[in-house]
Amino acid sequence: MAIYRLGVAFTMVLSFLSATSAQTKAPSKPPTSAPADKARDLSGIWFDDRPRPITTNERYWIYKFNAEEPPMTAWGEAQFKAAKSSFGTTAYPLAETNDPLYHSCTPPGLPRIYLHPFPLQIVQTPAEVIILFEYDSIRHQIFTDGRPHDTSLGPLWMGDSIGHWEGDTLVADTVNFNDRTWLDRMGHPHSDALHVVERFRRIDHDHLVDDITIEDPKAYTKPWSTHIEFALRPKWTLEEQFCEDEESFQTLDKDAAAPAK
Amino acid sequence: MRICKLGIAVACAMILSSSPRASAQTKPPTAPPSGPNSNPAHDLSGVWFDDHPRLITVMQRYWAYTFTQEAPPMTPWAQALFDAAKPSFGPHAYPLEQTNDPIYHTCIPMGFPRIFLYPLPMQIVQTPGEVIMLFEYDSFRHQIFTDGRAHDTSLGPLWMGDSIGHWEGDTLVADTVNFNDKTWLDRMGHPHSEALHVVERIRRIDHDHLVDDITIEDPKAYTKPWTAHLPFVLKPKWTLAEAFCEDENSFQDIENDETKPAK
Repeated sequence: MAIYRLGVAFTMVLSFLSATSAQTKAPSKPPTSAPADKARDLSGIWFDDRPRPITTNERYWIYKFNAEEPPMTAWGEAQFKAAKSSFGTTAYPLAETNDPLYHSCTPPGLPRIYLHPFPLQIVQTPAEVIILFEYDSIRHQIFTDGRPHDTSLGPLWMGDSIGHWEGDTLVADTVNFNDRTWLDRMGHPHSDALHVVERFRRIDHDHLVDDITIEDPKAYTKPWSTHIEFALRPKWTLEEQFCEDEESFQTLDKDAAAPAK
Repeated sequence: MRICKLGIAVACAMILSSSPRASAQTKPPTAPPSGPNSNPAHDLSGVWFDDHPRLITVMQRYWAYTFTQEAPPMTPWAQALFDAAKPSFGPHAYPLEQTNDPIYHTCIPMGFPRIFLYPLPMQIVQTPGEVIMLFEYDSFRHQIFTDGRAHDTSLGPLWMGDSIGHWEGDTLVADTVNFNDKTWLDRMGHPHSEALHVVERIRRIDHDHLVDDITIEDPKAYTKPWTAHLPFVLKPKWTLAEAFCEDENSFQDIENDETKPAK
């Protein structure tokens, strides 16, 4: 049987030496890779900054982006009604779910990856902002070197992402998705016309926000948006966590839905 | 039926090398300057690809499924496991439905160092405290902490191991332990135990070339440490494509592609 390692995902590495102090204390060491403009430095380990939910209704963010329903088209509504999610208030048992992630460990895709309660790490290079997710080692590479979208690539799980800076905000534009994922863990659908715009901003040293706009004329009657908050976790590192079978989700569901202690 | 995109990944990379998107990358970026290191010799960043020549005969194709042409010095324990292995690669390949390769049929991680045998590119990114290898294949990463920390013995056995590194002159020495024993070392079926210890000596020998000299030590499986030499070439116009393992068809595609003789 596959063993899933979700339970240890939050271990802190106490010996972690922050990049900042390493730089100031040891000038002989390499300088920071951070952008010249401090405000454009998104690097670090970030973790979902929402409070632990108390009531069932407050737990929506575990399985979908907003408390209110997104404005679905007739096609979107039909897909949504056919979805048998194992999360949320009308959850199906694992054996009955038709969640595309179950039983096969296919990638959750963008933006659903953000609903997985695990940390992410942002790494920046001169031409890219790269988001590394602990969950299943998924990668979200945003090219910031001015290139256009690459229309030669086939439909992708994570889409094709390009970005540019508007002041202190990284605006990431992602298209070229396949239609094999759900937008969230409730079963809100999308088509391959999905277009995701993210506005990342580090509002202070320890906090990052990602305002996401989801546009998909086949599935939704108008664009809708959601707001995700992250807190810096300077002493954490990403752990290894591979999806191996459907049991993982059961563990994850129980863990994420547990009320705050 | 799931569709695996591994088969097109190499093709994607090839296309990228000549696409307009790729050329855009070569223009001076307007974004933040410089790599992470004041010492240019410590800058390993970029997209790298296996620099083995395309080979003609089956015997020359060893690098497609194992690290060295010579058999590594196995213990009786390892020899028994190796004899029981039914790889789908190499001169003694079994048909896909008969293989007992642990990564077939389930897409579990192939682990480290086997990841290096997949003929897909790898990107190195660096931060002040880490050197990170991002593999196109199944989005794997190999994170090497260079901030002076010790191995984290609190972690359970890992597919990719726990890696720390330090610089010796121009060479990044990466030390990886804490493996599980659920993977093969290579695609031939050479085994390893949880005692596996991998030391890599990674050096950029010139602007366009990187070498990774790997020493594999595992007293349960091998009578003495043995080494492999992996050459990489910089692909400045490439980007990593998306290549998720979804089913065993992916491996057939890879094999068909990479064992073709050079054109």
